[in-house]
Amino acid sequence: MDFCLQPGVNLHIIPTKQFKLTHVLINFATPQTNTNATSRNLLANLLETSTHLYPTQTALARQLAKLYGAYVTMMVGRVGRLHTVRLKASFVNDRYSDQPLFSQVIDLINQMLFHPLVEQGEFDSPTFRLQVNNLASTIKSLYDDKQFYAHQKLCALYYQSNSVMRTPSFGQLADLPRLTPASLVNTYQQMINDDRVDIFVMGDVQPEAVRDQIGTLPFTARLQTKQSAVFYNQPLHDDILQVYERQRITQAKLNLGYQLPVYYRQPTYFPAVVFNGLFGGSPYSKLFTNVREKASLAYYASSRLSPFSGLMTVQTGIKAADHDQVVDMINQQLTAIQHGEFDQATVQEIKDAIINQQQAGKDLATNVLEHRLVEQLLGLQPVKNFADQINAVSNEQIVKVASMAKLQTTYLLSGEKR
Amino acid sequence: MDKKVYSEFEQPVYQAQLANGLAVHMIPMRNFHKTYAMFTTNFGSIDNQFIPYGGKDYIRVPDGVAHFLEHKMFEKEDHDAFDLFGQLGADSNAFTSFTQTSYLFSTTSHLHENLDVLLDFVQDPYFTAQTVAKEQGIIGQEIQMYDDDAGWRLYLGMLGNLYPHDPMHIDIAGTVDSISQITADILMKTYRTFYQPSNMNLVITGKMDPQETLNWVTINQQRRQFDSAQKPERKNDLYDPSGHDVIPFRSLTMDVARPKVMVGIRGLPVSYTGRELLHYKLAIDLLLDVLFDDTSDNYLRLYNTEVLDDSFSYNLEMQRDFYFAYFSSDTEQMERFADEVIAILESADQQIEAVRTRFVGIKNAEIGRLIGLLDSPEAQANHFGGQLFDNATLMDEITELRTISIEDLYQVAHQFIKSEGISVFQIVPEHR
Repeated sequence: MDFCLQPGVNLHIIPTKQFKLTHVLINFATPQTNTNATSRNLLANLLETSTHLYPTQTALARQLAKLYGAYVTMMVGRVGRLHTVRLKASFVNDRYSDQPLFSQVIDLINQMLFHPLVEQGEFDSPTFRLQVNNLASTIKSLYDDKQFYAHQKLCALYYQSNSVMRTPSFGQLADLPRLTPASLVNTYQQMINDDRVDIFVMGDVQPEAVRDQIGTLPFTARLQTKQSAVFYNQPLHDDILQVYERQRITQAKLNLGYQLPVYYRQPTYFPAVVFNGLFGGSPYSKLFTNVREKASLAYYASSRLSPFSGLMTVQTGIKAADHDQVVDMINQQLTAIQHGEFDQATVQEIKDAIINQQQAGKDLATNVLEHRLVEQLLGLQPVKNFADQINAVSNEQIVKVASMAKLQTTYLLSGEKR
Repeated sequence: MDKKVYSEFEQPVYQAQLANGLAVHMIPMRNFHKTYAMFTTNFGSIDNQFIPYGGKDYIRVPDGVAHFLEHKMFEKEDHDAFDLFGQLGADSNAFTSFTQTSYLFSTTSHLHENLDVLLDFVQDPYFTAQTVAKEQGIIGQEIQMYDDDAGWRLYLGMLGNLYPHDPMHIDIAGTVDSISQITADILMKTYRTFYQPSNMNLVITGKMDPQETLNWVTINQQRRQFDSAQKPERKNDLYDPSGHDVIPFRSLTMDVARPKVMVGIRGLPVSYTGRELLHYKLAIDLLLDVLFDDTSDNYLRLYNTEVLDDSFSYNLEMQRDFYFAYFSSDTEQMERFADEVIAILESADQQIEAVRTRFVGIKNAEIGRLIGLLDSPEAQANHFGGQLFDNATLMDEITELRTISIEDLYQVAHQFIKSEGISVFQIVPEHR
């Protein structure tokens, strides 16, 4: 059930008796630039920390606790070229509490989004300084996860030097010193006034009551983002970029980046999903069974599609000494698929697993909302016959998609000298 | 088959015990698409001394046998059980903890066939010298991967402090050295002792027809011959139950961007069992919320002075025969973090008194969080209490939680927080 609250502000209600929690997602979307990711992430942190009425995070947390431990969090993400700030709330259905929770949670969201802790055109300065430090720490800590680190390095190598895709959705340390309590108010005003807004409510709710409650949020009219701006593509590099980095670690990480110009829900999308399952995206894949299980060359070996940016990545954990052998073996697996060397039984297993996952995903409220959000941003309807579409993928289509994959970059993080 | 309905949540629970001793628990969830099944043996990494099935004397097996067994169960003479699930469109997995090993699948179709695969592969051991040797390579890699994980090293480091002479201080997967001593014979002896149906349970949650599902399980089990049941005898006595062997402090240098610190408390033995033990555990959970959750004055003060940040977390783990709590954060002020956390723990009485007016709110928040877990088939299965908590379900947990009073918090604070049980572990970045 969809309602347009204002131009550019849409409400989507999904009534269901499946869940004991009610879920709210409010998404703010705008094209990502080289600098807005960092300031928007800091903004999300500021907005979820305190408000005018609840000026400390403890005051805010206590209000949430009163609402039967309601969660309201804010975070950033990316859908292709769009940068998103998301407010997510979940709380128990009114029937499990002694007070009407829905309206109280919406009131609190109203405070968080429309009454931030801003005085005379600036965010509260102690809160600001603390959140800058916290964001710096969080970004540094992310890189302690070596799998994550290797993936980020690979993406930075893959995307061309002037590409906004190089900037992760959570931002970068180098931008932080430029941000001020006053500049963040600009960031805030742009987001709250200009961003495309999609609001989703899912749970055992009455749509009219929800519309009335959500209608109390004072959103104003704004311009719509063009849908064509979501997908990212870039020309092929002249040569394959190879980078080696040394750190004190035990297990080396080898990551590969391929251009694979396949985009979400476009004609080659379902074949690409099956191809990825066959190559490295599932436990029945060639990378998992041949590189990890048969050859024991890797503890993990998988592939992942980025269907908004035309990229496919491979990530492995290996012994550094096995590097050349592993690269050869990964390439052999891809070549094999390109030559149609795979059996029908495995393809069917992978299709069944993809269908099972999609069905099972319906039991996870956050997953349902994530899909609905992406569909809204792209102007798509929910897929009606997912299983049929997956089952209809032919071997020829898999071969064709596999042949579109072009190796662009390899990255090795190793504890040993080359 | 017994049926119990938790009317507040419109949630029935079915239980049955089969002739071979296997306990089956089913929680059907309306409007769900997925079924989740978890087949668990009451056997984990700390159970390294026991009397083997049919034997008289205790033996000691190498560290990591439970986890090794878990990996090896999937592999059969001419196939891998994992592939059978795959052919049926199901996801499958397994995990080993200190005190249990669980095999599980989730599926949206072919429930009957998947249940047969699950029961059959776990009850059909196949170990050979070659397959054991190959697995030693794979698990060796897995252990090494965790060596680079600072969070895991911090956790294991703390266990090493809290239980320096007990098997909990050793990685669940064992060490590269210990797993090299594992043989097919050791695996078989261990298997016969702990994988008897009477030492196991099967928990099924999500989409199902309970009667039909139980029939499938019963027919499957009737097809199979089992050894006569023999209760496993194991040695899990703590080296020093008084906790005087706790190491107060250690640190480790690693290539991390920020220092990490953890404070731990080892719980001392209590006489509770079943629901009383669950009550005790939930009361400690609530006590920790009162002292440290983000509504506490302590949290705000430490957050604002950057003694802790958003990476701060705390947790209580209670398993068969032992329990401990830990508090950790990334912080530049490692010593101050430890001092502050310990000071808060040691002044628990005043802290509890200070929240008297907010206590109901804190408790409701915890109840709300548990109600939220009812939406997850995995959480319903994972929260199933098993033998330790007299088969308590998530709904029983909510019921028990409601009975906890502020007076209970004073009592558990005195029972749980003892200075001899407190310890600190640090991970220090290399370049300082």
